[in-house]
Amino acid sequence: MSEKVRAKVKDLLDSGRIKGFLGLRQADGHLGPHLFTDGRELDALAVGDLKRPGDTRYPLNKQLLTLMRCDPDDSFGVLVRGCDERGLKTLITWNQVDPAKVVAVGIACPPELAAACECLKPYPDEFVDGGKVEGSTFASVATVDALDLHSRLTHWLHEFSKCVKCYGCRDICPMCFCKECSLEQEDLIHTGDLPPENPIFHLTRAVHMAGRCIDCGLCNEACPADIPLRTLYKKVAEIIAQEFDYRPGYVEPGEKPPLNILGEAPEH
Amino acid sequence: MTTKRVAVMKELLSFTGIEPDRLRLEWVSAAEGPKFAQAISEFTSRIKTLGPSRLKVAA
Ligand code: SF4
Ligand code: SF4
Repeated sequence: MSEKVRAKVKDLLDSGRIKGFLGLRQADGHLGPHLFTDGRELDALAVGDLKRPGDTRYPLNKQLLTLMRCDPDDSFGVLVRGCDERGLKTLITWNQVDPAKVVAVGIACPPELAAACECLKPYPDEFVDGGKVEGSTFASVATVDALDLHSRLTHWLHEFSKCVKCYGCRDICPMCFCKECSLEQEDLIHTGDLPPENPIFHLTRAVHMAGRCIDCGLCNEACPADIPLRTLYKKVAEIIAQEFDYRPGYVEPGEKPPLNILGEAPEH
Repeated sequence: MTTKRVAVMKELLSFTGIEPDRLRLEWVSAAEGPKFAQAISEFTSRIKTLGPSRLKVAA
C-alpha cells in the first residue's frame, strides 16, 4: 500500500513543506524507522507490511519527539495509523509536539490488524491509503470482566508474575515522555528488586497511563513475557471514558485529561 | 482530584480482583476527632469482614 504514501511524501519533501519524513524502511529483510529527507530515496519507504498487512509497527511518534527536540525549528512529516494519530493528538494536548511543525500522512489499517487490535477506530481522520474498517469493542476486557473477583486476581497475579522488569513496556510507549518515571521512584517501586512487587509495579503503570494511553498495543507486542498489558490499559481507558466521558486521542487536541484538571467528581 | 483518582483506582482494583472496599477516602479535619474515630472503626470492621487479602496470603 505504499505507492500513494510515496507520492504524498514526495510532494511534501519536494515542495519544502517538511524537512524530513519519518516512516519505515526495508533493509536486509527487516523493517525499521527511517527519516527520509530526499524525494529520490522513497523507493525504500514501507508502511509496515512485512509478511502480513500491518505486522510491523514502530512508535514513530516517540522518534518524532526526539527529532523535534533536537531540531525545534523545522517541520517533519510522520506516517500515522489510527493509533499513531491518537498519539499525536495526545502529545499535542500534553504540549510535547507543536502541531504547526508536524504533517501526518495517514494510512487506514487492514481488517486483520484492526480486529487483532480490537481497535475502536482503525483509521486516522484523513488517510491517503487503505480503506475504512469498522472499529471493534474490547472483547478481551469483557472476558476478564466476566470472571469473579477471585479468578481475576488469580489471572492477573499469574500474568504479572511473569514480568522480568525490563521496562520494555515503558520504553516503547509513545505516550511515555516523562523525564522522571514513576516506575523508578523509590517510594513507589523498589527499583533494585526482582521480580517487581506484584501487582504494584503494573498497577502503578496502569494508573499513570490513565487519560494518556491511546491503545496502540506496542507495549503488549514488546513484552517478552507476553503479559496482556493492552487489556489492562484498555480497561483503564474504559474507566476513564465511563467516569469522565474522555478518551485520549479521540478528543480534540488541547482538551485536558480529567485526572490532570480539577472538575466534576464521578457521581458515586 | 483525589476523589477522581480514588474512583478510578477502585475500579481498577476490582478489575484486577482486589476488593475495592479495601481502599477508602475520607476527609477529616484535625478538629473532628469523633468523625475520625468513626471512619476508622467502620473501615477496620469492613476490612475484618473481608478477611486477609489474598495478596497477603500469597506473599
Ligand atoms: S497501548 Fe501501551 S504502548 Fe500504547 S500508549 Fe498505551 S501504554 Fe503506551
Ligand atoms: S515489557 Fe513486560 S516484562 Fe518488561 S517490564 Fe513491561 S511488563 Fe515487565
